Amino acid sequence: MSVAVVSAADDVQPHPSTREASRRRAIKRFKWSILSPLIALMGLVLLPVLFLQLYFSLHQWTVYLGSWWDADWVGLDLFKEVLTDPRFGWAVVRSLMFATGSTIGCFFMGFALAYLMYKPFRGQALYYIIFILPMLTVPVVVAYTAEMMLYQSGPINDAITRIIGIEFKPAWLTNPHIALPTVMLLEIWNWTPFSFIIMLAGLSSIPNEPIEAAEILGASKWRIFWEVQIPLLRPVIFLALILRFLEAIAEFPKTWALLQGGPGTATETLPVYIFITTWQYFQISKGAAMSYIVMVMMVVIVLIAIRILRQEKQTLDMVYGNKAAGNSGGVP
Amino acid sequence: MSKLNISRRTFVEGGVGLTVANFLPGTTPLAFAASMEERTIAAAKAAGAADVTGMIWSPYLVPMQPVIADFKKETGIGIGGVQDISIFDAPQRAMAEALSRSPQFDFIHIDSNMIPSLASAGYLEPLDEYMKKADFKIEAVADYANFMTYKGQTYGIPTDGNVHIQYVRKDLIEDPDNKKRFADKHGKELKFPETWEDEFRIQQALMDPAKDLYGSGSLRNRANGPTWWYMMFYSAGGFTFDDDMNPTLNTPAGQYALEIYLQEKKVAHPESAGWGTPQMIPRIAQGHVVTCQYWDGTAKLNENPAKSKTTGKWLYGLVPGSDFSGKRIHRSISSPLAAILINKYSPRKAQAAYLALWLGSGKNSIPIVSDPVNTFNDAWAKEHMTSEVVQKAYSPAAIKAIEANFQVVAPPTYLTGFLEFQDTLGKNLSEAYVGQLPAKDVLKKTDEEWNAIVGRIGRTKLKQELASYKAVMPKRNVPA
Repeated sequence: MSVAVVSAADDVQPHPSTREASRRRAIKRFKWSILSPLIALMGLVLLPVLFLQLYFSLHQWTVYLGSWWDADWVGLDLFKEVLTDPRFGWAVVRSLMFATGSTIGCFFMGFALAYLMYKPFRGQALYYIIFILPMLTVPVVVAYTAEMMLYQSGPINDAITRIIGIEFKPAWLTNPHIALPTVMLLEIWNWTPFSFIIMLAGLSSIPNEPIEAAEILGASKWRIFWEVQIPLLRPVIFLALILRFLEAIAEFPKTWALLQGGPGTATETLPVYIFITTWQYFQISKGAAMSYIVMVMMVVIVLIAIRILRQEKQTLDMVYGNKAAGNSGGVP
Repeated sequence: MSKLNISRRTFVEGGVGLTVANFLPGTTPLAFAASMEERTIAAAKAAGAADVTGMIWSPYLVPMQPVIADFKKETGIGIGGVQDISIFDAPQRAMAEALSRSPQFDFIHIDSNMIPSLASAGYLEPLDEYMKKADFKIEAVADYANFMTYKGQTYGIPTDGNVHIQYVRKDLIEDPDNKKRFADKHGKELKFPETWEDEFRIQQALMDPAKDLYGSGSLRNRANGPTWWYMMFYSAGGFTFDDDMNPTLNTPAGQYALEIYLQEKKVAHPESAGWGTPQMIPRIAQGHVVTCQYWDGTAKLNENPAKSKTTGKWLYGLVPGSDFSGKRIHRSISSPLAAILINKYSPRKAQAAYLALWLGSGKNSIPIVSDPVNTFNDAWAKEHMTSEVVQKAYSPAAIKAIEANFQVVAPPTYLTGFLEFQDTLGKNLSEAYVGQLPAKDVLKKTDEEWNAIVGRIGRTKLKQELASYKAVMPKRNVPA
């Protein structure tokens, strides 16, 4: 799909009247009266943590050798150490694989369920409750329940064996090649409802007119789906993917409760390695440096995401003929 | 020498004064108290009543509660509240407490192998003064009380011996058909294993995966694997560091231990790489294992017919040894060894310390270690070995095995940085066990990583601790 660029000339607005200018000032004042306390609170809570973390990542503090304020200044050495640590590199790779796989899985499952559910039918509320139940389950409970189900001779393998009629006995949790995909499947089960809710909201908010127009023009259901609904849903799809990806990168409770990074290092993802470094090895400074690097990675991902979402929003605005993209903030 | 002029009146007044002073709070030792328990009560009363708070895992706390209630009645010192944290998660939490110098917990119940790390972080209160005031001694089997000391001071009171003993299925090893088959194949009698090689032969001979019976029930997961490897390594004559704190794992003794450790994959359940205690204990008690080394408390479970299918079907004894060094050496291990440690920053540290002493007396700990349901606190005191209650809970054979293994029990790396040394070794052993890392690289890599840890913590500091570590190592190669 081509993306139309809104030129600066298109955005030129006529000079506002005095009444309009006064109304805008009032809105601005109201916005700031709401936002200022929140910004102040964020500053009070977040900034000291960020500064402390920055302090730790620039100072080598060995917890057994004195207080943290006596730690030695090491500049960027810890960042260099982290970036040249192959174990950290593998943790990044595993986390990216995990987040990508589980995000895609959650999205397709969630979208499929939402598509089945977006038109009202009798008993819809019951299905809705059933579909969101996994998301309401505590991740640690998911992990321990899965542990009981996924033994080699446990109920899952037994059920699959009965269904397909051939012995099916993968060691879900102890084979290093499939341990990470196993946690990924659990993540998909746990968080599909999240994608389901977002996609359901997206599908429900699509106006009927374009669909009805396409039907009148004789378009098939498949064509309406691909050429009308999907383009209109693109911002929502990106939002669902991005939010889920960011959540998945930070997944810790299931991975830790189930496997603690093992077997071997097969499930040693970024959060697991940061936890081990900080609270098993008590390398607080190295852990802080790792966290900063991960934070920068996440900020880059978020910035890219915001850019994509802006572009999608602008495209939609073009479709609806609303060129004043800035009116709604640019981001859905 | 000048002549002393003491009148009869002065003498009598002095005598009365000394007698009164002896009963005043803070005057020690309380020589008139009859037993260690009474002396502890007297010293605790002097500290004043208080409800202390602690960090302890509930399965450990439950059998202690009646004993704590008795102490509360006698002294006014009880438990006001606890944070229920698993013994495996407690080290991280305790270290966070240490780093923040928090007075939140008066005591922590934790693996005593954390003593060097927590003492180095300045969190622990030495207990020697309190022990002196109550004339208290840790009356543990053999040299086990040494596990509570670090750099000459006592920092913990044990509640759980947790020594590994050898478990062998009696019904299988005494079966005439099995005996004949084994003798025909190996030209040897099928009997209780004395060496690691003996054990492996028995495991191979008696396992039957078709009946869900596997040779070994020992743990090989990342968290617990090193505990087993240390037994093999120490029994081959190995030690973890030389006198300059250079790691010495990549040595013939280390390679031998690694070979023994990895070969058990052939006789273990296919999922053993990821299994810990929650998975393995039921398999032992339900009869799916031929032999293993395991914590002694599992004997209590095995011998409890309400919870086990193998009651009366086990032989208990000394863990296998090795002739690798040229002489027979047996080395058992105790890890995690649960003990009560006291927070130096606590405003109620004296009360918490006396409560720990009360729970750690031989007599008071008998009901704690013999609880047939909450089996986490295992026998460790001399008095436990002769107590009928304890013998009934474990079986006399298991108690005999516990006593024997205590004589050759060693710790894992008893140094500051214990968790880091342990996890690094565990990670590499686990990678080798699942095939992610070639066996030849395991010890070389671990040596390199341990060297980096030594550098981080400080070679000089660790060299000073080495004597404490060596003091905890057993003096005997085989039990008396």
